[in-house]
Amino acid sequence: MSAIRPAAVLRRPSDVRYRRIEGEAVVLRQSTAEVLVLNEVGAAVLDLADGRRSVEEWIEALADRFETDRETLARDVLEFAAELAAAGLLEPAPGDET
Amino acid sequence: MSFGGQFLRFPDLFPGRPAGEPWGDRAVTLDVAGGPYLVAGISAVQEAGLRERFGSLCRGAVDAAVLLRVFRAPAGDFREIDTRGWEYTLDLDPSPHGLRVAGLRLMARLDWTAGLSGALWTCEAAGEEWTGACENALRVLAAYRLLDLGGAVIHSAGIAGEEDGYLLLGPSGAGKTTASRLCLDEGATVLSDDLNAVLPGEDGAQMVKLPFTGDLGDRAGAPASTPLRALLRLAKGSEESLRPLSPAAALAGLVAAAPFVNRDPGRREALLDVLERLAAAVPAWELTFPLGARLWSILRSIPATRR
Repeated sequence: MSAIRPAAVLRRPSDVRYRRIEGEAVVLRQSTAEVLVLNEVGAAVLDLADGRRSVEEWIEALADRFETDRETLARDVLEFAAELAAAGLLEPAPGDET
Repeated sequence: MSFGGQFLRFPDLFPGRPAGEPWGDRAVTLDVAGGPYLVAGISAVQEAGLRERFGSLCRGAVDAAVLLRVFRAPAGDFREIDTRGWEYTLDLDPSPHGLRVAGLRLMARLDWTAGLSGALWTCEAAGEEWTGACENALRVLAAYRLLDLGGAVIHSAGIAGEEDGYLLLGPSGAGKTTASRLCLDEGATVLSDDLNAVLPGEDGAQMVKLPFTGDLGDRAGAPASTPLRALLRLAKGSEESLRPLSPAAALAGLVAAAPFVNRDPGRREALLDVLERLAAAVPAWELTFPLGARLWSILRSIPATRR
C-alpha cells in the first residue's frame, strides 16, 4: 500500500458509485461487483474526492466537522486515503504528480 | 480473457442480432415472476423437457410479457470444459441497449429495442443439458425483467411461515441450503434455497418464488409469494447470534446478492434505487447459526417492526 502525500489530488474512478444512508456509505465498484460499507468519515472522504481538492484540503474541511485534534485527523485521513486507493476506490486525478 | 473466450471457440462471431435457425415451431409459456415468459422456436422434445422441468408453471403459447427465442448453434462453436470441481459463472457483456451472455454450450443476448426480449443459441437438443441451458438464460432474463419492474432477483433462501417470510442472503457456500433444511425440519416452507424475487408490495415488500433452486430442489406446496418480514445476512460461526444490520450494511448485502444486474454499469443506479427502498422498508439482521440450531424458532422471534 503506497503512502498518500497531503498535496495529492485524488478522485473516485468512473466505475465507483456510492450511496449515503444514515451517515454511512455503500460503495459499489462496478468492474468487480464489490460492495463495501464505509463509516461516516469514509463517506465524507468519498464526498471530497472530486479530483480538484487536495487531501490537505479534505483534512481542513473535515476538521470543521469532526471533533478530533488535527494531527490525528490528518494521520487517519492519509491512512484511509491510502487504503481506499489500494482498494481501487480512489485514483490520482489527471495532472496530479505528487 | 475477452468476453466469451472461456466458453466459445469463436467469440468474435457472437450473434449480432436475435436471428438464426430455430430448433422447431413449438413454444411454451412459463408463469414465472415478472412474466409470463414465452420460450419459442423449440422442438417437441425440448418443449417436453421444459414441461417436465417447470411443471405447473408451463402452459400453451400465449401473448407473453417477455419473449425468449431459441436457435440452433453448432456444437463446434463451444469449448469442451472439464466441469469437475468447477464453479460455473456466466460471462456477461453489458451495453446500454443489450447484454451478451456466454456459458456452458450457450450464447444468449437480451435486447431492449422494443421492450425486453431474449435470444438463446445452444447446441443442446434435449435432456438436462437443454433445460439447464434454457434455465440459465431464463435466470438472467428474470433478473433484468424484475429490475425493470422495480424488483430484484436475490441470491437467497426464501423461508416462509403461514403469514410472512424471511430472505436469507448469501453467496454459494454461505449456508442457504443448510438453513433451509433446518427450517423445513421445524415446519417452515421454503420457496427456493438459491434464488428468490422481491417486488414492492402495498406494505413493504413481497418475496416471490422462483423455480431456480439449489441442492434442495423444487419445493412443491410453497406459496407463490408472501410478505417479506425480514432480511437476514448469513454469517459463518459456531455460536448462535442475531444482530441488527444498519440500512447501509443491508443495502451492501442486497447489492452483492443481486446476480447479473450488479455487474451491469447501465443498471447500477436502478439497482441501487430498488434495493435502497427495500433496505429501508424491511428490517435486516446478521444471523450466525451452528449446525442443529432451531433456526425457524430464531426467525420467528424477530420482531415484525419496520424502521
